[in-house]
Amino acid sequence: MAFALPGVTLPAVVEELLSEMAAAVQENARIPDEHLSSLKFIFGSSAIQALDLVDRQSITLISSPSGRRVYQVLGSSGKTYTCLASCHYCSCPAFAFSVLRKSDSLLCKHLLAVYLSQVMRTCRQLKVSDKQLTDILLVKKKQEAQKV
Amino acid sequence: MAEVLRRVLSLGSSAESEEENTAEAGPPLLLLGGPGSGKTALLFAAALEAAGEGRGPVLFLTRRPLQSLPRARGATLDPLRLQKIRFQYPPSTHELLQLLCSAHEARGPTPSLVLLDGLEEYLVEDWGPQEAAYLAALLLDTAAHFSHQIGPGQGCGLIVALQIREEGDSGDALQLSLLQRYFPAQCWLQVDAPGPRQRCLRACLDPGGLGPRAEWWVAFRPDGEMTITPWPAQAGNPSSDKGSSSEDQP
Repeated sequence: MAFALPGVTLPAVVEELLSEMAAAVQENARIPDEHLSSLKFIFGSSAIQALDLVDRQSITLISSPSGRRVYQVLGSSGKTYTCLASCHYCSCPAFAFSVLRKSDSLLCKHLLAVYLSQVMRTCRQLKVSDKQLTDILLVKKKQEAQKV
Repeated sequence: MAEVLRRVLSLGSSAESEEENTAEAGPPLLLLGGPGSGKTALLFAAALEAAGEGRGPVLFLTRRPLQSLPRARGATLDPLRLQKIRFQYPPSTHELLQLLCSAHEARGPTPSLVLLDGLEEYLVEDWGPQEAAYLAALLLDTAAHFSHQIGPGQGCGLIVALQIREEGDSGDALQLSLLQRYFPAQCWLQVDAPGPRQRCLRACLDPGGLGPRAEWWVAFRPDGEMTITPWPAQAGNPSSDKGSSSEDQP
């Protein structure tokens, strides 16, 4: 989470869990079972779905020479969602509904998958030009506009 | 980003805080107030303050050019500081999104502070929460990218001014709570006893869990000059405003 602005990060308990998981992965190359149960306790079924996305290498970190980065997650339905690397944002409908509107979830499964892939160092990397990165950030907006 | 605003509000009253003028950007700050509550004047004062820090330029985004430069206090309105403020006027929401999405393509020195005045003008009416969240998230992402370019230890700050109605409907409340997710630090401006000769406002700064809340009186004289006194001291004491701190740079 080195990119995050201070104060716009996860709740401390989640941060702590993720950094413990990162340490465990570095040591043993796998996540201990008790961490997995904590994850499931905090995030419910999203935890399993997020781990599944990580297993299937559905997360791509896109970066440009400028150093700006954005994540794309290939959802189980085959749609690609954009997740910002610096703060909580995912373009999926669950994020709009459960996180933003209802406030009954902390994250959607895609964002959780992004954080888990950072911990497990399993995300795919894609380098694009600065211009292409602009288009990736903007295209999302155009799709939204067409949908409405 | 409460630190720059705190310095603006504390000028002339707390010289001892100079030591704390670290370049740490702090959390993004939302500046909230009704129409005519002095948001633009405070934002501009924050721009001048940051421009005098000897760091990168200040990026000031607003839909239309300022009608006049707000009256600055003391010696702070010097041309060298003004030159470091880069005004950009995205005329529409689309243009603003375009500017934020392509911020990493811009050449030149990296801004040390990003300011946006009038966020409400860019929040399109038929937008759902996701679009508003995307705009807020992109503002944060842009500042985070600038922070990354500047390097560790010194971030790029972000202050966004939003006009709120006195009696907000439920849609406004939803939008505000959504924006507050992305802006942990907030500063509220409230009109306090409008007087015949000057407008008095109460500024309440909540730095987002990084310190205690603080309050100030902000008074605007008819000629536009702004005076700031710490709450609960009485406002309207012009002698408390000898805050010419342009010599405090190393």
